[in-house]
Amino acid sequence: MVKNVFYSTSIIAICLALGKVIAAYLGGLPASLYGMLIFTSALHFQLVNPKKIASTISWIIQHMGVCFVPAGVGIINHYQLIKDHGFALVTIIFISTFILLSFVGLTYQHLVLNKKSCTH
Amino acid sequence: MEQLIDNIDILSFILTIALILATIGVYQFFAYLQSKTQLIWLNPMLLSIAAIIPLLLHFKLPFDQYFHSTQMLNNLLEPAVVALGFPLYQHLNSIKHQWKALGLLLVLAVILVIVISFTLTIVFIAIPEIAVSLSLKSITTPIGIALTQQLNGDTSITAFAIILAGLFGALLGPTWLNFVNVKSAKAQGLAIGAASHALGTATISKISYEHGAYGSLSLIVCAVITALVSPFLINNLTMLLIPF
Repeated sequence: MVKNVFYSTSIIAICLALGKVIAAYLGGLPASLYGMLIFTSALHFQLVNPKKIASTISWIIQHMGVCFVPAGVGIINHYQLIKDHGFALVTIIFISTFILLSFVGLTYQHLVLNKKSCTH
Repeated sequence: MEQLIDNIDILSFILTIALILATIGVYQFFAYLQSKTQLIWLNPMLLSIAAIIPLLLHFKLPFDQYFHSTQMLNNLLEPAVVALGFPLYQHLNSIKHQWKALGLLLVLAVILVIVISFTLTIVFIAIPEIAVSLSLKSITTPIGIALTQQLNGDTSITAFAIILAGLFGALLGPTWLNFVNVKSAKAQGLAIGAASHALGTATISKISYEHGAYGSLSLIVCAVITALVSPFLINNLTMLLIPF
């Protein structure tokens, strides 16, 4: 158990370090995203054992919410913005979320699923 | 004099520890509350933010001081993004046979939502940083915040918008999709994963296994697509919509 936690955190640290190197040379994406893609490739090419990391990774994903709290508290500096544009802000989020839901849902159901059932 | 400096160092160290523990404590309390009540809108992130703001105001603690002290938590965002490589790996295997159709659909969806959100924000609010934040609100929080920093948006607005997008999809998504006659579990899962990321997906996972599987597939693939297209797209939208 302890060994797996150590293994998982080391792998993540290595992937993140490589991501930082790539981001420094290439730019484009944030370092952490290069790190994520490296981690996925390492799993895909069986350089990393998925069984050993599964439980640590799901613990991290389950608890990572607390890391976003400080960034979210920054909204405290936006009192004026919320006062002036709060309604527009929430409305834009609402509308674009429902357009996206409908677009993906309807397109997949009508084009992908129905086409498949016709050819069968 | 030296004594004074030492005292200040010790004080700021104690403050750092206290603020980090308080943040974790508040979050854990709300996470526990949600797991007990199973109410979607008792979102631990949203409630923690709502509880910490009055505390800071009450103790007259400036946000910069709070953010500086809790820097450690914020730094954990980077390894958290890397950890998401595991679900990505799991899902890439499961879509091998239909990746072309799915990939194309989600690329179009991501472009559509970025263009709509960015344009509406520029038209109605006219602040470029906020437009960047709202363009990145449909994806999972760690990647949304990382991209916001990269593209000079405002991370607190992104965090807030991401929670709202998640809550809208989690609370109303399944009802809305049934209403527009999208009834297949796969289509509902994909739609809610794309629009309402982990928050929506966690909620619909209770409906069926297929909902959860397609939801998490969609949320992770959309986040990667957004990371790849948003720098180019947002730069061009900025040049197009904001004349100087």
